[in-house]
Amino acid sequence: MGRLADKNIPITGGNSGIGLAAAQAFASEGARVAVKLEHVTRTYRRDAFEVRALDDVSLTIPTRGFVAIMGPSGSGKTTLLNLVAGIDHATSGSVVVGAEDITTMNERALAAWRARHIGLVFQFYNLLPVLTAFENVELPLLLTHLRKPERKTHVASALQAVGLADRMDHYPRQLSGGQEQRVAIARAIVTDPTILVADEPTGDLDAKAAEDILLLLTELNRQFHTTIVMVTHDPRAERFVDTVYRLDKGVFIGSEKGGMSATPRVPLQPAE
Amino acid sequence: MTKFTRLLFKNLLRSKRRTVLTILSIGVSLFIFAVLVSLPTFANQMLADTASSVRIVSRTKMGFAYPLPEAYKVKLATLPHVVAVAGLVIYGGIYHEASDQFPSVATDAEEIDMWSDWGLTGVDHFKQIKTACLVAEGTMRRFNLHVGQQIQLRGTVYPFNVTLTIVGTIAKGPVPSFLIFRRDYFEEAAGRPGIAHEFWVQVDDSRVVPEVCAAIDNQFANSSAETRSASEAAAVGSILGRYRIFMTLAECLGLVAVVAIGLVAANTAAMSIRERRGEIAVMRSLGFSSGVILSLLVGESLIIALSGGAIGCGVAFGLFKVFALNADALGPFVSLHVPPFVLAETLGVAALIGLVSAYVPARAAARRSIVETLRLVD
Repeated sequence: MGRLADKNIPITGGNSGIGLAAAQAFASEGARVAVKLEHVTRTYRRDAFEVRALDDVSLTIPTRGFVAIMGPSGSGKTTLLNLVAGIDHATSGSVVVGAEDITTMNERALAAWRARHIGLVFQFYNLLPVLTAFENVELPLLLTHLRKPERKTHVASALQAVGLADRMDHYPRQLSGGQEQRVAIARAIVTDPTILVADEPTGDLDAKAAEDILLLLTELNRQFHTTIVMVTHDPRAERFVDTVYRLDKGVFIGSEKGGMSATPRVPLQPAE
Repeated sequence: MTKFTRLLFKNLLRSKRRTVLTILSIGVSLFIFAVLVSLPTFANQMLADTASSVRIVSRTKMGFAYPLPEAYKVKLATLPHVVAVAGLVIYGGIYHEASDQFPSVATDAEEIDMWSDWGLTGVDHFKQIKTACLVAEGTMRRFNLHVGQQIQLRGTVYPFNVTLTIVGTIAKGPVPSFLIFRRDYFEEAAGRPGIAHEFWVQVDDSRVVPEVCAAIDNQFANSSAETRSASEAAAVGSILGRYRIFMTLAECLGLVAVVAIGLVAANTAAMSIRERRGEIAVMRSLGFSSGVILSLLVGESLIIALSGGAIGCGVAFGLFKVFALNADALGPFVSLHVPPFVLAETLGVAALIGLVSAYVPARAAARRSIVETLRLVD
């Protein structure tokens, strides 16, 4: 199976700023590594205190991988995810996504890069309440050169992929939590991003809906080969991912294999 | 930008009540602004219209109530550059009710052409019929009069009534509501007192107006009825001068109204943007640049402010139209209208309110750290 574009969505080519062209360029440039963090440190100032959210973290995430970043609260999971998504800056070290070192990009370039390469899913969905499901999913496409009929086709395909083709005219308030998260995932995949970044995507859902979302993400990873980086507290997620990266107190402590076949669990491999 | 239009309007209609109230409050303020700024603009326009006039108004130094002798007319006519002289008597008078007053004056029928630039009709009949009168179109509309109709004015200053026949109209007089009848009829009815409250003197060139004014006043210096002569523009200006302080006040109040609504709009924009900072952060995380976000937020504010401006302009424009049709109590200001320049200025002020009120909070929201904002909102 190919990418989302191969299945349902007619991609218009490089001019669209989305789709295969960007993905292929990304794949060739980045070879087998989707994300590479080298000696990344991120500190925040909280009043008079300096908080070290990430401390000299180095790790790589393979292309087409489905990885979970896990750890206790305050371990730096979300900070790491934000750096990968390009919505936060490392205090030191480098974050290379594909072949691009995003730590050197300015805000404008970073925004354009996010639009091309990143799909973001939040814990609380973060859909715009004044827009319908269709319009929410269409939002990232407004930044491309796609014309309205093309945008419509892309949105319909994305909503179909998440099983909400019949809810496209519904507003977020008219959807359940699980459905809202599906719309958020459709919004994240509609531009056919090279990396899907999900921050606690099941954190606000009941067990059934959480399971459905994890299955959906697995499908997206397997069918469309989307690299997925997910931060989660949810131990059920370990069954669905290829690799689990563990952080504690801002330090990368190692990775272990996940997956349905991960029982018994592969011993934790310490960080280099 | 057109693909963002839907998003723009969806956000505008997010809180319909707040949007409507903001538009209305801006509309009311800019209505006040348009009205108040129109007053001095209107006065200046009146002066500009008469600046190139070749007419001089000559009155007694003692004031309106004291007339000049009719004999002055002949002396005035002999002065260099003078081409016509018309005596003018202020009759006053009431049509039907005391509230139905409008200026009525009597002048020399043979000199009526002096005011040909006022768009007079029925001039020939005016010269032929002693009881003829010309009525301003505003008065015709107000009392539903028509040419050929006979009307009676009851004397208030003078103890007699005049019965007049409307033979024509005045399209562009100095005020929209007034009436001119013949001075010989007035003289006959009044028992030939031989008076005129003013003499209107027409000269052959507007450049000699000051010179002729001086000549007139010199001629009657040290007489029992000394004159004070001025160009028509100066005469109009002296009337308007009485209102000058109110006009200055009006301009200040207009400015205050704009500043006040600017602050209200800024507060509303800041509140609206603050409520949406989470959404703004999400949009930025999707790849919307700070510039696009800023444009969208300022665009919303501009639409609101310009809608308010359009309402304010429309109401001011319409209201003056209604005033012009139905009221005479405002004296020379009854012909007040909102000039195109003021309409453009009001819309410009509206745009400025929209830009300034939203720019600072929008810029802050568009540049704020995505992560910090999401953390605060979540």
